[in-house]
Amino acid sequence: MMKKWFEKLLLPLSLCIVSIAVIVISIIYFNFISRQIYEDSTNHLQEIYGQVNRSFGVFIENNWKLLESWDRHFNQPDDVDEASAVNFMTEEQANWGFSEFFLISPDRTFMTMDGTVYDMALEGAWDNLTQNREPVVAGETLPDGQAVTMFAIPVSPEEYMGFKFDAIAVSYNNEDMINSLNVDAFGGKANCFVVHDEGNVLLSTQSGGNVFSNYLVYLTAASDLSLKDMEKIRKDWQNGTSGVLQCKIGDVSHCISYQPLGYQNYILLSVVPQNVISSGFLSVQKITMNVLIIIFLMIGAAVIATIVLRNHRQSRKNRMELQYRERMFDVLSNSVDDIFIMLDSENQHVDYISPNVEKLIGVPVEDVRENIRALEKCTVDDNVVIPREELAQIPLNGSRYWECEYMHQNTNEHRWYRLTIYHMSIQGVRKYIAVMSDRTVERQMNKNLQDALTAAKSANEAKSNFLSNMSHDIRTPMNAIVGFSVLLEKDAANADKVREYTRKIMASSHHLLSLINDVLDMSKIESGKTSLNADCFSLPEMLKELHIILAPQAKAKGQSFKIHLHGALPEEMIGDRLRLNQILINLLSNAIKYTPEGGEIEFIVHKLPHAAPQYVKLRFTVRDNGIGMSEEFQRSIFLPFSREINSVTNKIQGTGLGMAITKNLVDLMGGIIQVESNVGEGSTFTVELSFALPEREEAETWFRQKVTRILVADDEEYICKNIQDIMRDSGVDVLYVTNGADAVRLAAEAHEHGEGFHVILLDWKMPGMDGVETARQIRSKVGHDVPVLVLTSYDWSEIEEEAREAGISAFMPKPFFASTFWHVIKPLFSENDNKAQPEQTAVTASENALKGHMFLVAEDNELNAEILTEMLHIDGARFELAVNGKDAVDMFNNSEPGYYDLILMDVQMPIMNGYEATKQIRASGHPDAATIPIVAMTANTFAEDVRNALDSGMNGHLAKPIDMNKVRDMVAKLINSTDDKKGGKGE
Amino acid sequence: MKRKCLCLLSAIAVSVSMTSCIGRPDSGRDTLTIMGKESDLQKNYMQNIFNHYEKTTGNNLDIISIEDADFEIEASKRFEDGSAPDILLHFHNADLNRFDVPGNFCYLNDESWVDDLTDSARAYCQDSDGNLLGLPFWENSVSGCYYNKTLLDSLGLKPATTQTEFDSLCSALAATNYTPIFWPGTCSWMVQFGLDPLFADDPNLLEMLNKNEITYSEIPKVSDMTQWISDAASKGWLGSNYTESGWDDISPALASGEAVMTFIWDTWFYTDFKPDKYSVDDFALMPVFLNTVENGTYEGGNLNMMMVNKNSENKEKALDFLSFCATPENYNAAFDGISTVNCFKGQNTNIQSKMVTDAAASIADNERVSTAASRIIGYSGEDVASALNTLLKKKTDNAGCVKLFDDYRIAEAKKQGADGF
Repeated sequence: MMKKWFEKLLLPLSLCIVSIAVIVISIIYFNFISRQIYEDSTNHLQEIYGQVNRSFGVFIENNWKLLESWDRHFNQPDDVDEASAVNFMTEEQANWGFSEFFLISPDRTFMTMDGTVYDMALEGAWDNLTQNREPVVAGETLPDGQAVTMFAIPVSPEEYMGFKFDAIAVSYNNEDMINSLNVDAFGGKANCFVVHDEGNVLLSTQSGGNVFSNYLVYLTAASDLSLKDMEKIRKDWQNGTSGVLQCKIGDVSHCISYQPLGYQNYILLSVVPQNVISSGFLSVQKITMNVLIIIFLMIGAAVIATIVLRNHRQSRKNRMELQYRERMFDVLSNSVDDIFIMLDSENQHVDYISPNVEKLIGVPVEDVRENIRALEKCTVDDNVVIPREELAQIPLNGSRYWECEYMHQNTNEHRWYRLTIYHMSIQGVRKYIAVMSDRTVERQMNKNLQDALTAAKSANEAKSNFLSNMSHDIRTPMNAIVGFSVLLEKDAANADKVREYTRKIMASSHHLLSLINDVLDMSKIESGKTSLNADCFSLPEMLKELHIILAPQAKAKGQSFKIHLHGALPEEMIGDRLRLNQILINLLSNAIKYTPEGGEIEFIVHKLPHAAPQYVKLRFTVRDNGIGMSEEFQRSIFLPFSREINSVTNKIQGTGLGMAITKNLVDLMGGIIQVESNVGEGSTFTVELSFALPEREEAETWFRQKVTRILVADDEEYICKNIQDIMRDSGVDVLYVTNGADAVRLAAEAHEHGEGFHVILLDWKMPGMDGVETARQIRSKVGHDVPVLVLTSYDWSEIEEEAREAGISAFMPKPFFASTFWHVIKPLFSENDNKAQPEQTAVTASENALKGHMFLVAEDNELNAEILTEMLHIDGARFELAVNGKDAVDMFNNSEPGYYDLILMDVQMPIMNGYEATKQIRASGHPDAATIPIVAMTANTFAEDVRNALDSGMNGHLAKPIDMNKVRDMVAKLINSTDDKKGGKGE
Repeated sequence: MKRKCLCLLSAIAVSVSMTSCIGRPDSGRDTLTIMGKESDLQKNYMQNIFNHYEKTTGNNLDIISIEDADFEIEASKRFEDGSAPDILLHFHNADLNRFDVPGNFCYLNDESWVDDLTDSARAYCQDSDGNLLGLPFWENSVSGCYYNKTLLDSLGLKPATTQTEFDSLCSALAATNYTPIFWPGTCSWMVQFGLDPLFADDPNLLEMLNKNEITYSEIPKVSDMTQWISDAASKGWLGSNYTESGWDDISPALASGEAVMTFIWDTWFYTDFKPDKYSVDDFALMPVFLNTVENGTYEGGNLNMMMVNKNSENKEKALDFLSFCATPENYNAAFDGISTVNCFKGQNTNIQSKMVTDAAASIADNERVSTAASRIIGYSGEDVASALNTLLKKKTDNAGCVKLFDDYRIAEAKKQGADGF
């Protein structure tokens, strides 16, 4: 610090020292030169006036001599007469230039050569002449006023023209005398005086005449000489001593030089202005001064230039640094989510605001610059509006902070800041520096952590509950299985008990299986391995299956189960039917499960508008009036392992995974699921999903042209309206009645009027006259030409025979779908008019699908192999067992063509798994390699397992544990299909 | 009120005089009419001579006293309407031009008393052709540079005899810290002393000026004078308050010794000077030096002249009256004890200033008739002082100052309706 300070001051300090040194040297030099020149000048002055003095002395001497020579002339009386004397003097006057020649009498009267007598009162110096008989010089004023200087010497008493004289004199006009005192030196500005030692001025060279009567008196009055000085001068003059002195006369410095003339105490006095004497010095001084001034100016200029340059550089450097810093700060502030503000503490004027303020909270920089209060409009909480009083309370060098929530003016985004205000003094000016540190991420992170913690706690709790539940739920069926197995062994001889125990063991096994499936499903979903297998499927088929599965359950609990269809629902859609089925079954089975006996279950399908014509959006609503759910549970219903704990639910089996699986599947399908529920009032689940629509194939329409009027009879009017809506799109006019009697009457009336209906649809179970009876009466009225169909949600096999006797042409499963309708009536309008075989017949046929067929069973697990082979045996099938995939391949390759009808292939086997074995079978050169159906049997039941099986060349997939009904269906489907391709085989 | 009293006294005196004349049984007594300014007629010496005349001769004097302010117009009107007096009492100044002097007044060159007049008095009363216009019968004075001789002696200095010496003297005095010249800037007479020699010495120049054929600006000496005054002020020779000082400040400055010299007249010392450190005896007289003449100048007094109406029936008797007044015994009787410079050589009863008598030789050489103030048409001492102060206050330059002299003068001349303007 000190070093930097020293370096900074080094140059100016050096220059100052040099300047001072130059000044001191200059002063010394000036004094020396001044003294030297003054001495030279005074010596010069003395010398000059010494010469004047000598000249004047010579002049006086010459006059003395002249007068003495004349005296000698006058002392020769014989030779002197008046005329010659006059002539003589006239010649002498011409030679010497004096103004007059006088003869002086002892009584001091004067007479000129022409006899003019002057009576002058001679005093003073004249005493020397008259008394001491010495030569004198005296100034006198002649009677005519002429000022003259007279030179006189004593002579021997003589007489001229009767005038007795003892002295002679010549006079000179003072002006002439003065000329002899004038010197050319000093530019004519020097005055020279001849004064008496008492100061009276005899002669003066003063221009225009003398105004001084006594120079000593004048000096005393006009100069700055002290009385002591004056006394010294006076003594010098009286003593005939020379001297030089300096004094001020008025305001002007003069140099006064005096020296005795040597005659009668006359003093030659010279008075010269000091500046005249020192003109030489002044010239040197001026030059020196100019040189020094130039040097000083150059030094000064150098100093100033250096300082200015240095300051300029420093200033530029500071400015650049400031700019860099500002730029860097701007960039920095733009890069961070913190806002920086500098305020004047006096007026709260904004000195600086970081430019990111607009980006972060949407307030323009200019607005904040204009008024800091512009930030307040972004504050969410009024409490963060900081009053000036609070600012004023922040001590100097202290700080305070506030937590503030701001809302972005444009995006309404909320951000949280910690506003810290520092009070500080910057170069004596008090400032507030506000730093708004963005705590949004931190706050969000905390919230997320909190949520995660809560979720973790909840999940942990849920898992604990799950484990607890699983413990119970697994043990319960396992207990039944184990228990009844024991009983089965014990009561093996009792066929009734065996069947009873076996049925219960199977029920417990199914429950346990579903439990395991759910757990595995959830595990798969949570691990993100779940994927959708989109394919074209029939919505009516799916709904039919749902109805088949769930209606009996509802019926078993005495619940009404209604399916409502709204809008022109598509016949076929592209989607993952399996997963959609799973979703809807979960919801519907829950509705049935948590609705008390006698309750109502509604399943409603709405077609919602969709922007793209190649898509359809459906809303599936499952509504019940069951036990409902608490709000708290509604919030966690979609979390895994969540089950509401109450007296009712505790009695109901469940894993708590169903809704989580459902929610995840809906999410996976890009849909939404919502729940509304009130405890004791029931629940409504809504699922909205979009499906792609397949390209429509041109349907056979010839028969449709024959159907334009339909009569519908159903006690449920919504079903009638639903059929009306659906058929409107097909251009079919639908009339409906809600009872059988009206249907009979209407059909008869129409028939009578020749406007008979082309098809009559009758609900099976109508109050009063049921469908069968109504059909019978209609046949009696309108004959057998009109197809009469029975709508039923139930298995119509029990009434099929009666119905056909009553004239029923065919059965239509509920819910009503146009495609089903056309499918059902198509045979009725065929040219051959063949009666369509009820599906029930096909279903019946599948029960014997296994009978007589040869199966190659590949299963490494002995127990599973035993169960399967036993069941195949029960169904009349033949089989051979391979213990791994390679064994299966070998057996197939070694078989005769057509020996095996189907291969049931376990997937996970030692040596060679099912997929590889299938590939090798398909790749083998066996004649049946390409055609033999291969069905996978695996505990891996996920969609990708199915896909993997198909990809490896298998034709179907059966999940373990093996459900023989599914085996039968699969075999019926595959073998029949194969038979068709082969040109018929089997039954 | 004072003026009214004087009028009353005058009237009483004249009445008494006339009554005494009327009361004389001699019917041959003459009556002369004398017209003059009211204030002029009240002078003691005028009353003395009137009374003495009437007593001595038994003749009557009809004194026509006119108020000062109306005098010029009233008097000139009388000469126009035929009611002119036998004798007019008038100064020889520019106002005399209102009268047809050659046509109305007698030249008195041949009168017996002419040689008894002092040179300055005679010069004053002459016209440009040397014709004597009247008998000077007035208190006389000499204006010049009155200086404190005692002080000058104490400073080892001598009075100046030339302009150069005067400059040296001023310079030497300035070095002694005394104010060399007391300059009463608000007073009207200072500049006229410098102008007098220009026009008194060159009557043609005066005539050209009065005919508006030349201006001050065209006379270099005028400019030399103002420049010198300005320089003197700059050098401190005029003291410090030279533009504001006035009449009342002169006496204290001189009596205290603060100032050494001033330009004034001798009678001032007997009327307005109040002795302090210095008395009248400490003062002496030298010429006024205003850089117009090298040897300086004195200004003679302004004298009232008794002018004889040449068209009067009593012209001879009026001339006799003048001769009566010019008789030594009569004028000595009239001026007995009056402080005045001699108008007559034989004057010996008056009190004559020692300052004047000591400087008699110098006065004789350098005195000029008061010319500027009295003979220049349109001249106003106040105007000139005002113009000069603009220069001294540095509100104008030297040429501007001289131009102001002209402007004021010409404006006044035009106002008076002077010929040529």
